[in-house]
Amino acid sequence: MRAARLQAFRTGCARAALLAVLATHAVGQTGASEAGGSWQQDVAGFLDAHCVRCHGAERSKGDIRLHELVEPARTGDDLATWELVLEMLESGEMPPEDEPQPAAADRARVVAWLRRSLREAALQEAPGEAVATARRLSNFEYHNTMRDLLGIELDLTSKLPEDPTRPYRFNNTAEFLLMGLEHMDRYEDAARRAMASAIVDPTPPEVVRKRQVWGAEARGGMPDPAVMQPDEISPFGNRNRTVANGMQVDHAPQTGAFRIRLKASAILPPGVRELPLRIMLGYTIVGIGAGHTDPAEEVGTIRLSNSVDDPQVFELTGRLENFPYQPEHRYRRGGRIDGALVVIPPHFTVTPVNAYDDGTLNDHPDPLTMPRAVVEWMEFEAPVADVWPPKHHARILFPSPLRDTDPDAYVRAVLERFLPRAFRRPVSAAEVDRFVRIHEIVRQAEGMETLEASMRETLATALISPDFLYRSVTPEGGNVQHDIASRLSYFLWGSMPDDELFELAVAGELDRADVLEAQVERLLDDPRAEDFVEQFTTQWLGLHRLHAVPINLERFPRFLYTIDRGERRGAEVRNRPTVRDAMRAETVAFVHELITQNLSLLEVIDSDFALLNQRLARHYGVEGVHGDAIRRVDVSGHDHLGGVLTQGSILVGTGNGTAPHPVYRAVWLREAILGDEVPPPPADVPALEDSAGEAVAVAASLKEALALHRTKESCNDCHVRLDPWGIPFEEYDATGRFSPRVAPPGTRIPGFDARQGTDLAAYLDSVDRLATVVVEADARVPNGPVVHGVHELKDYLLRERRDDVAENVIRRLLTYALGRELTWRDRPTVDALLARSRQNDHRLRDVIVDICRTELFLGVPPR
Amino acid sequence: MTRKSWHLDRRTLLRGAGAAVALPWLECMSGRRNPEPPKRLVVTYFAYGAYMPTGQNGVADADKAHHDWSWWPCRDAGELTFNAATAPFAPLRDHLSYVQGLDHAGGHRLGGHSSGDVFATGADMADTRPKNDISVDQVAAARHGDATRHASLVLGTEGGTGSYGRAKTLSHRGPGRPIPAMHDPREIFDRLFRPYAGRDVAAVREGLRTRRSLLDLVLDQSKSLDRRLGKADQAKLDEYLDTLRAAEQRIERIDRWTHVPLPEVDADALDLDVTAKQPEEYVRSLYDLMHLALRTDLTRFATFMTESEDSVSNHVGNYSNIVLGYTGNTHDIAHKRPEGISGQWELWRARQHAYFLDKLRTTAEGDGNMLDNTVVLWGSAHPHQSHNTQNYPIQVAGGGALGFRHGRLHSFTGSRKVPLANLLLSMLHAVDVPTERFADSTGPLTELRPA
Repeated sequence: MRAARLQAFRTGCARAALLAVLATHAVGQTGASEAGGSWQQDVAGFLDAHCVRCHGAERSKGDIRLHELVEPARTGDDLATWELVLEMLESGEMPPEDEPQPAAADRARVVAWLRRSLREAALQEAPGEAVATARRLSNFEYHNTMRDLLGIELDLTSKLPEDPTRPYRFNNTAEFLLMGLEHMDRYEDAARRAMASAIVDPTPPEVVRKRQVWGAEARGGMPDPAVMQPDEISPFGNRNRTVANGMQVDHAPQTGAFRIRLKASAILPPGVRELPLRIMLGYTIVGIGAGHTDPAEEVGTIRLSNSVDDPQVFELTGRLENFPYQPEHRYRRGGRIDGALVVIPPHFTVTPVNAYDDGTLNDHPDPLTMPRAVVEWMEFEAPVADVWPPKHHARILFPSPLRDTDPDAYVRAVLERFLPRAFRRPVSAAEVDRFVRIHEIVRQAEGMETLEASMRETLATALISPDFLYRSVTPEGGNVQHDIASRLSYFLWGSMPDDELFELAVAGELDRADVLEAQVERLLDDPRAEDFVEQFTTQWLGLHRLHAVPINLERFPRFLYTIDRGERRGAEVRNRPTVRDAMRAETVAFVHELITQNLSLLEVIDSDFALLNQRLARHYGVEGVHGDAIRRVDVSGHDHLGGVLTQGSILVGTGNGTAPHPVYRAVWLREAILGDEVPPPPADVPALEDSAGEAVAVAASLKEALALHRTKESCNDCHVRLDPWGIPFEEYDATGRFSPRVAPPGTRIPGFDARQGTDLAAYLDSVDRLATVVVEADARVPNGPVVHGVHELKDYLLRERRDDVAENVIRRLLTYALGRELTWRDRPTVDALLARSRQNDHRLRDVIVDICRTELFLGVPPR
Repeated sequence: MTRKSWHLDRRTLLRGAGAAVALPWLECMSGRRNPEPPKRLVVTYFAYGAYMPTGQNGVADADKAHHDWSWWPCRDAGELTFNAATAPFAPLRDHLSYVQGLDHAGGHRLGGHSSGDVFATGADMADTRPKNDISVDQVAAARHGDATRHASLVLGTEGGTGSYGRAKTLSHRGPGRPIPAMHDPREIFDRLFRPYAGRDVAAVREGLRTRRSLLDLVLDQSKSLDRRLGKADQAKLDEYLDTLRAAEQRIERIDRWTHVPLPEVDADALDLDVTAKQPEEYVRSLYDLMHLALRTDLTRFATFMTESEDSVSNHVGNYSNIVLGYTGNTHDIAHKRPEGISGQWELWRARQHAYFLDKLRTTAEGDGNMLDNTVVLWGSAHPHQSHNTQNYPIQVAGGGALGFRHGRLHSFTGSRKVPLANLLLSMLHAVDVPTERFADSTGPLTELRPA
């Protein structure tokens, strides 16, 4: 709604009107004021002179009719429009550049008047009024809450309806977190599955164990150094009947915890310090390039740096429910009706994958020259529990003599423990009574004879009640303290409060400023805060596109490791981390670094460090990074890295797989970094290619095509404000690599085709030789200077747009923290946070702490 | 109240491509003598508009010869002739019409890809109905949904609701209530044909009784929440309470239908494990399931979003790459419109939809066939140009016994322009929903369905 109006405002304003028509004002009361400007003297006159010709009675571009507005403080209805006017004046977008400009002092006076008036209007309202605080848990929060409530991590959300997302917005927005019958069905199913795992049966299940040996003790004799041994795995796997094919565990249980142990080491060529060994569990992964699509999930990754002289035992654990279980399969040998019947029992397969990747896998080097993992033996055991019933069970159905002596009292006691945690607040006796009644109904149903069964169903019912599914729905006499506990934990962990927060809430301490600050610091230091950083970062920066853009692998044949033969030739090899995964991790780790180290949020624009692993460093052309772990690396100007703008996660997602796309990159910069709302192209605007005629087929660059596009007036209105932001990024190619030179216009770049016999390195050399022309990456920023390339763009942003960048980060964080879009009412809080941030060198961790101390966030003023 | 088992005995096994059906609607549901065939309504959607090289804004360019690979079968209004891209529809000539110049004014101001949201609703999401509104199938379902086990069937290739501006479903119960599309063939099959998951009917009814009592208590629990909640919070809670009430109504409905035997179908003849990675088999499997649900009268109103707009996160978004071997984004085809690829894409889409229509046509029903009793809308919310949201590509098929007249290309351009909602209104009239208005309709489209 607001975006649409903003859009209309922007496009509508750009065209010059011929006649100045003075509209009649609904003039409010005249009142001079101390801090700049009065309505009658300054503001009304200013609007008459600069605005109403296009946004008045005669013309109302963008449906904005400023002549109808009256003073902000006097009416609530128009405040959103005034907020828009203020934004336009502050950013300099209005009046349009090709219109007579107001004197700077006049503009400043009106801006000051508007800011003050809006703040006054906002302060007249109680904070939080008229905005929803109750909302359903997002799927991410649901997952984490279940994990922390039950003490086991289960994948319950993959079958829930996806939460709505919009680029650069957060999927915890209350307004869009809907509830319907279809949601309810799936919540019910998820709750039952969760309780089925959380509460176990009294008799311990049979434990399934398997051990398989591939090492010397299995093969005996002297190995032939010219071939890979059965206990070795190269990045390309190994032959059949070797450890690379994994270990099949027949008739394994499908629920419960499992443990995988293995004894492993690494054969590392000179210059390589470690290799990642990824342990997969699920269907059998046959070969690396075969046409399999069988599902398997990662259990964990071991980083092997120990040599074969020093083999070590590693252990991984997980929950079987989260891994795909291969059902029984029967077939006739040879596919013939009279062939012998073969029965493959139901099973899991544990498959170790050598995930080493230095970007040359598509060059197919000799496996014996590559880092290889050596796995002497593997063991699988499930279900594992140190005690039976396991801890997560005993936390709910706790051991007590009551269970036998007074079963009814026991049920009540179980509910009295469980419900307050599930509902994240104290629970009344009447509420416990209600669930006791639910239990009575449940136990009479078929199959509910045991206490375990009836409690599973009863507690599953609690998990579909609004008290669990919704946040901040407080009962009679609302509990401020517990509400604060939830606000903090859902902001910083995306989960329910832990015991310490609950205890502080019970003690009534959580609104004390010092306690609050200590808790925020504690929550940020907890590993669960990484969830928050990942959610926030991926949504704020729109990282979902990174994996969605199909990269032209003929043009960038080393970018992804692909299958080189057969029907699936060219498809990505599955079950291994790719450079794209590393790019995503880079960006999340970067923001995490800013938060944990309390660095300036302006480092988002530029920094003298990057977060890289070996694969990524190789991609960017940075030397000296070894190993799979993302770590902080110092960078300097010649690396053309630093900040978020040039990270692969952004640049790949804003390309089209073959070439960079300046429009996508411009939209990204304005939305994610400058906080503008860029409207989608309107209905009656033809597509880029159509408006540019046949031009795009022969145009030298997209830049030229865009120039043509801009010659159409309807396109120009938007693109003149958009394109210049994207052009400087042309120095970076569609895979996010700095490539300041390109092939001359009209050059046809042949794609790489392995079947033609050329080798990859020679092909890439030939492409490099074609790149003889310096790419055009200079553009005049709207209302700003000409910048040459991203380097100068960054300088400009840091020099002239610091406040915009900072305000945007603050607004994004606050939006995420509150779970709703900000409105004009929130401006005083944003202004105060921005002012504090400015005084504090924009330190990001402190910004988060400050947000947690606002009345807006807490719902009450802190003590 | 029990029905005699001969209802189940008169099984006819229809072995069509990929589906074996027992019990057409007559035997299994009605229990009446000489019942009237059910009247059905289907809406299907494809994304990114269609290839129209000689009339890119959705209206044929009178100066140019018709293009062999255009989505439109012929250039001029009048009797239908078919070009290369629409050849699969040629055998269905007398059962379908093409309509130029229709669109939703409510979608004009939505962005390039967002107008798909309102294809079946006609809501003005840019202004008066920001959370969309009820879709045409749900209007019909609200009125006649009680006649069948399922009020409606909502399918999509991606599943879920998507988000505002990027819907993955065509169906909406009302503002802010998108109905998630089902996309997993096995889940769809089980919901339709194995709803009791192997339990006998008595146990199902007993279970329903228990559920009803439990829901009552959950409702009590919900109502005990503070009634002094702010207005916005109250609205959120009401959403939940509405959901609980809907769950209770559904229990009543399921209970009622436990007295009617389920249709028997042979799952072995269906490929329920196919995924979007095999686009042709997958799309056909969903069309098969829709046909089967209509055929057995489990429902009469269905929607199917065969493609979602701007679908970048899964295989569906790469259909064209898998089917056509195109190396760029599917989205790029919509912008660049490379001739060979675009034409092949239209042909591919046409083949899948014609497969469904033909399946309806070759299924006998009453004195005619299923297609005569089923009106099927097929279209997209853009013409050729992917940012243009006017003059949709629209095909209407079937409903011959419901009053539709076919075999022509109609043009409602220029001064003849009328809202697409008029066609949707006529579709509602055809299935006995005598409403006077749907969305921004100005009256029924009598050219296709004479009064």
